[in-house]
Amino acid sequence: MIGRPTAVALIAAGVVLTATAMVLPWYSTAYAGNVEVVVRAWGTEVVNKPGDWPAGELSPWYGLPVAITAALMIAGIWVERAALAGAAAQVGAVGITSVLVVSERGHAVEQQGDFAIGFGLLFLLIGTLTALAGAIAVQREPA
Amino acid sequence: MKILSAALLALAAAAAVAATFLPLSELLIRLTPDQPQTAYVTTGWATHFGGTKDEHGPLFGIPAVAAAAVVLVGIRWRKVAFAGAAALAGVTGMLFVYLLNAISFHKQGNITIDPGLEAGFGNGVWVLIAATILAFGAVVVHPDD
Repeated sequence: MIGRPTAVALIAAGVVLTATAMVLPWYSTAYAGNVEVVVRAWGTEVVNKPGDWPAGELSPWYGLPVAITAALMIAGIWVERAALAGAAAQVGAVGITSVLVVSERGHAVEQQGDFAIGFGLLFLLIGTLTALAGAIAVQREPA
Repeated sequence: MKILSAALLALAAAAAVAATFLPLSELLIRLTPDQPQTAYVTTGWATHFGGTKDEHGPLFGIPAVAAAAVVLVGIRWRKVAFAGAAALAGVTGMLFVYLLNAISFHKQGNITIDPGLEAGFGNGVWVLIAATILAFGAVVVHPDD
């Protein structure tokens, strides 16, 4: 038992960290010729895009599910169990993101790219675990 | 009610695991006009382009099976079932968004190679969505802890 105020503070910290993650780079890969692919929550930026780059828009809206889960965590202030739903759903979403990152890293290394994890992904991971800890704790506390 | 919720949760978990073995997205493309269509298929455990396996294909099955396991544990505790259903929803939601972008990218990137190409979601996605709805339905009829 950590007390309801502490549990709510953990959820709030998780939401702030998640919100910060939405504006920071999640991961990037640098290739020869100063080409760099930077993936964020709301799109992919290709720096020094070569002429033979595949057509089509690389815009993963990873931010959309995460924005919904963060909104659920905030709704937890008024709606019982919404914070638990938001935090647990965010764990699921981060799970998919994690396997994608492992895959992207494998492809990058195979193509002699220099892969790097961004602060956005770190913030998202820490924020998700913090919010989950708070959401579980708040279920154990009397209202 | 206890038996009904247990059965629904077990069914939801089984459906979520089964979904990982089904195609999540499919691209059928003719690389040259005289060749038959080549299938680019992603499941929860592998990505194949024709007969070639992508060694670094994303293993979407791992988070899906983990969420299914929590759903299964939820047979005993309602709150765990609820958290499991929510985790499954998170897995499904993020996967849906990723695949939507990947399908669109494949379509736009290859339409000049084969204007008749077919790209879309595989049955695995629909089974995963059904499993999520089933899991939440089981939570509704789950007796209190």
